[in-house]
Amino acid sequence: MSKAGDWRNYKRVLLPPVKDLHKLDVYEANEGYSALREILTTDKWDPTSVTDEMKKSGLKGRGGAGFPTGLKWSFMPPIDPDVPRFLCCNGDESEPGTFKDRQLLEYNPHSVFEGMLIASYAMGIKTGFLYIRGEFADWITHTEAELEKAYDKGYVGKNIMGSDFSCDIVIHKGAGAYICGEESSLMNSLEGKRAYPRIKPPFPAQKGVWGYPTTINNVETLACAPLIIRNGGEWYAGIGAQSHPGPVLYGISGHVNRPGVYEYPTGMLISDLIYEVAGGMRGGKKLKALVPGGSSTPVLRADMIDGVTMDADSLREAGSMMGTSGMLIMDEDTDMVSFLRRITHFYHHESCGQCTPCREGTGWLENIVTRIDEGEGNLRDLDLLMDLCSQMEGRTVCALADAAAWPVRYTIDRFRDEFEAKCKPSLVPSGADLVMA
Amino acid sequence: MADFIKHPVVGLPDRKPDPVIAADQLHFSDEEKKQIQTWISRYPTADGAVMRALWLAQEKFGFLPPEVVQLVADELNIPYANAYGVATFYTQYFKEKKGKYVLDVCTCFSCQLCGGFDMLHYLEEKLNVHKGETTEDGIFTVQEAECLGACGSAPMLQITNGTYVHNLTEEKIDALIDALREDRMPAFTSVTLPQDEDELGGNRRSDVEHTEAYQAGPVSETTR
Repeated sequence: MSKAGDWRNYKRVLLPPVKDLHKLDVYEANEGYSALREILTTDKWDPTSVTDEMKKSGLKGRGGAGFPTGLKWSFMPPIDPDVPRFLCCNGDESEPGTFKDRQLLEYNPHSVFEGMLIASYAMGIKTGFLYIRGEFADWITHTEAELEKAYDKGYVGKNIMGSDFSCDIVIHKGAGAYICGEESSLMNSLEGKRAYPRIKPPFPAQKGVWGYPTTINNVETLACAPLIIRNGGEWYAGIGAQSHPGPVLYGISGHVNRPGVYEYPTGMLISDLIYEVAGGMRGGKKLKALVPGGSSTPVLRADMIDGVTMDADSLREAGSMMGTSGMLIMDEDTDMVSFLRRITHFYHHESCGQCTPCREGTGWLENIVTRIDEGEGNLRDLDLLMDLCSQMEGRTVCALADAAAWPVRYTIDRFRDEFEAKCKPSLVPSGADLVMA
Repeated sequence: MADFIKHPVVGLPDRKPDPVIAADQLHFSDEEKKQIQTWISRYPTADGAVMRALWLAQEKFGFLPPEVVQLVADELNIPYANAYGVATFYTQYFKEKKGKYVLDVCTCFSCQLCGGFDMLHYLEEKLNVHKGETTEDGIFTVQEAECLGACGSAPMLQITNGTYVHNLTEEKIDALIDALREDRMPAFTSVTLPQDEDELGGNRRSDVEHTEAYQAGPVSETTR
């Protein structure tokens, strides 16, 4: 059952239907920067109460991992005036199937700035970096222009709104590396190093950019902060699925009649999203499979989505994850082997090369899946792939190896007949133990 | 061994290749130096500005041969090895000379299933190059790109790390190539949210001339 309530009459809040909302004066006229003003100019708020309000809202990060945002903020050590601390807003959106942050930055950039400032206030931060992937060059120019206007009006910079709170926002342009979406890798990239992920612990809150306490949040996550302050944590917690609340930007792509970014509450039925929101399957075809939250999340077969809703709990039960809520819908004609081949190519290309299981493993995955796709594989290759996945998962510094292994594991598991149909028979049957007595 | 299996060929880079940028060209203008200093001032250390400085250098010189990386390193006062490490890590920094226009066709994930490879192959055939190659006249380089984050308007391509062209068709590619041959860059196109179409009757931005809607992608003929 849908947990999104009366979603047909849902009123958008992240991207409300206001013309030219990206312009500062329009944003101001629509309660823009009012949350920040309330925090800075009334006695109602102090940093702790802001963080508590975030905790009350139940907001979970929208970047993929779904970590509770308020909790993350509370990990920052007590303020020491001699030690700088930083905020990073992760706009490196490169997970295949995800295209929501780009739209948010284009249509409502000031809500992201305001969210960054609220987060900075709550954690005593004086500099926030907004990391945007280099491919979004046009959107970086756009965001920079809007940021300059916010600076001119005194919303960002020294003594914001006459208070003693000062905070700078720096926009950092990436240069094309999927791995920069991983938080510790993003930090290395900011520092002007090769974007290799770091071993955790220490976590960013203890030792982040340039070794100082750092918090990293997704663009959409931070854009929720002004809404929570303005309307209260309880209001936010009442939207959508109880255990994973809030408005969320669903990026729907693939074989549907009306792809695009849609804002609805969490807990939407997947079937509602496909058949009602996105206008149904292209050409009246039948649904075969879907990926619920970017290429790393396990693929679901059409028969697995009955009653499944878009929130962490329901998707976990169904055997997948919420991820970035960038959904790819596939129709009955899709060749799952070719589909997997392209995904393995992606991870091979994007592995940073730091850890051997990932650097070598992603290449092996690609070569073996390609071999099967070309009709040259044999059934034992499927066992080999599964074995390889087990050797990669959890054995590297960051989760890219896991993210590369899961699609392979679950696509083969859930569409095994298609893979077997492309394989030549093996001398030794698949699944048999090779070691003979 | 079947030829579709890719063997990584790892050759050691030439340590001192002949410079391709003439010595009298190899410098930043005062304005560019000032710009770099502004970037440096925004980070705790000069290293932070290296990505911006490399972008600036690439826009100026077209690509990043060792002498340009050295120039950037000197400007930031950081070791050459650090700058070189960054320049070679990221996909968008060009290590070798490219065509005047680099066409990055996305074929990843959603684009694969919505005709991305068809568009790539059409472009390869039209310009008579393979992906990764530059046309003989040096105008176009065709590349296969990883996910560019425009999955709803697949298939799509990006022109030289800049403008996105959404909802590609063969006709659109024809028009694009003609325009680029005359040095007419397509303008920024804002893609309208479906909910804005319903609630606002079109794109929400009044300051962009070109808008497009998210469209259902074509049926893929090829997926590799």
